[in-house]
Amino acid sequence: MATGEQASPPGLATRRSLGKRFRDAIAPILASKVALVGLGLVSFWVVVAIFAPLITPYGPLEHDLEAMNLGPSLEHLLGADNLGRDLWARLIYGARTILILAPLSVFCALAVGATLGLISGYFGGWTDEVVMRLLDAIMAFPAILLYLIIIFALGPSATNVVIAITIAGTPGIARLVRSLTLDIRTREYIAAAKLRGENPFYIMFVEILPNARGPIIVDAMLRIGYAVIAIGTLGFLGVGLPPPAPDWGSMVAQGRIYIWINPWPVLWPSLAISSLVIGLNLFADGLREETMRYQ
Amino acid sequence: MAKFIVRRLLLMVLTMFLVTIIVFIILEITPGNIARRILGPFATPEQEESFRRQLGLDQPAYMRYLNFLIGSDWRAERLVGMPLRRIKRPGTEFYEWWATNKDDALIRWKLEGEDLIALRLQANGTVVESIDNDRWQTDEAGASTFWGIDLHDRAVLWTRGGQGYWVRSKGGGWWVEKAGGPQKWIPLQKGILRGDPGISVQTGRPVAGTLFRRLQNSGILAGLAFVIVMPLALVLGLIAGLNEGKTLDRILSIGGLAGTSTPSFATGIFLVLIFAIWLRLVPGVTVFASQRAILEKPEMLVLPVLTLALVELGYVLRITRASMVEVMRSDYIRTAFLKGLPYWRIVFKHALRNALMAPITVIMLHVNWLMGGLVVVEAIFGFPGLGNYIYKAGLWKDVFAVEAAAVVMVFLAVGTQLVADIIYTFLNPRIRYA
Repeated sequence: MATGEQASPPGLATRRSLGKRFRDAIAPILASKVALVGLGLVSFWVVVAIFAPLITPYGPLEHDLEAMNLGPSLEHLLGADNLGRDLWARLIYGARTILILAPLSVFCALAVGATLGLISGYFGGWTDEVVMRLLDAIMAFPAILLYLIIIFALGPSATNVVIAITIAGTPGIARLVRSLTLDIRTREYIAAAKLRGENPFYIMFVEILPNARGPIIVDAMLRIGYAVIAIGTLGFLGVGLPPPAPDWGSMVAQGRIYIWINPWPVLWPSLAISSLVIGLNLFADGLREETMRYQ
Repeated sequence: MAKFIVRRLLLMVLTMFLVTIIVFIILEITPGNIARRILGPFATPEQEESFRRQLGLDQPAYMRYLNFLIGSDWRAERLVGMPLRRIKRPGTEFYEWWATNKDDALIRWKLEGEDLIALRLQANGTVVESIDNDRWQTDEAGASTFWGIDLHDRAVLWTRGGQGYWVRSKGGGWWVEKAGGPQKWIPLQKGILRGDPGISVQTGRPVAGTLFRRLQNSGILAGLAFVIVMPLALVLGLIAGLNEGKTLDRILSIGGLAGTSTPSFATGIFLVLIFAIWLRLVPGVTVFASQRAILEKPEMLVLPVLTLALVELGYVLRITRASMVEVMRSDYIRTAFLKGLPYWRIVFKHALRNALMAPITVIMLHVNWLMGGLVVVEAIFGFPGLGNYIYKAGLWKDVFAVEAAAVVMVFLAVGTQLVADIIYTFLNPRIRYA
């Protein structure tokens, strides 16, 4: 399906001006309403996360004992939790954590998974067999089981959450990259690179990987959405970030105890996670449809 | 076909084997141990060490892995020099290990002072005690030792007048030092391959029995959710797919997307908020008299089932919709329209069968996801199921329990995948596996 445009040698791409390349890159996003809505939702959270201290006068750990368990008011836009902490402040500082951890863990999984997938697909044979069987075994785990076992073993912390999501995400990415590699490996420009006597790793990372980027990027977008849900779920189960970090999942878990008198601390972070994941999914969906149309 | 199935079965065995090793390594290489968690912060290092040895935690890791996999009784049999037998204690889920004497009588031992006391199980279930000092084996240095089975289902190396060790006395959980006695312990188990993954250190119960009941409970939960959600999701997905681009489709699609994008814990909490707190229709937690009796209070199952159903609904709906849209756009459907066939006939006779192929396979492959939902739903409602079990066991680093539960979960996931692949070849004759 991807001929011409995709298969052009890298030299051609660099000759185009930077502005044109940028326009080419965002064209599919602008063309799709779905992707734009998604981008809007995600940008909202990115912006509030970046400018968190400017948006709210409160800190995420600041107590206002008079506002304990109060609903939304002018003073506390979204209300306050059982310790009188401003929910809006906790929400946007929580956005910071999740917007760093989720992409980071997907990026780590991408680095490991893409490397394994490239090696497996490019070399084939025994390497392929061993790597894929091992990854199959990891993939056989229901994701939640793997998260729980890893975090129970390593202890709950931000780093370990990233490690758990990286390990659980690697096999899927490796499979995708491997299948793309198997396809691209047969192209002429790869044969040309081999004839030039390029190092296999140069071929893998410079010739193959950039030409496989389309599906990988869409997949990564979806994965960031899953990672957000996973981090939230782990926080909810009490094995995510240790308190009192403003983590959306643990906010829900904590607010649950007081749900009878004050449902707001549970409601807002749940809605926050949903909106962020919906945004990421819409963005990925729109992107996929548009890039498929372009090809 | 047969070749394909055999190959897949072999791969499945390999996968399960790797899974047990992966779980064991992850739990082994990391710090923290269950002995410390059970004893609490006030136990002395000597007490902890003694307790670890009584649990068999002092054995090397590969040995404990073998214990888990194929049991420790065969090893103990060689040390004791008598065949060992596991019998069920009547009326409970517990098992007892006994050695079989030459006269076929079942026998165990305990140490009192320097005397070895033999307990012989009689045919009527009573136990007769007698002094059995003849069994001491004295070596050149004059030390008397004996490998036997103790009252706590362990193979034990007793030494006459040996060093002290720590035991927990029954009242209050305090630790008392006992002089003389056991020096080495091997907790007896048959191994998961023979249906006995061992004793949960945290609860003191056999893992297999508890796990089985938890599996049943989770099965009931997932089964009910499945029965509700599948017809609903398929019908809604088909409706959305047939109305592609119209308002109805928009509403259903966005609803489906919102459903899949909302984490299951949020869905559960919303439902509790609406049905248990605002409307007060059903209870928001599940409290059962015992783990066996989850069907006695059906109203407590409503919210867990509903949550699990909603978690699944959006996903299956979206897949079905996409599949239906694709089929309705295909050439053969256009031909059917051009032939002038009635709309509903085209939908039911021509489109439906092909449109349902994708969702059905996806449903089978979806077990992994379902388990994620199970763990969360069981945590929200305190439901005594498999997810809850693995969560609690993991918190305690209860290796055998975690490992056995993981094996069961992975087996279910891999097994359904295999079945899905086989069903798929029947549904779609174009696919031929080598």
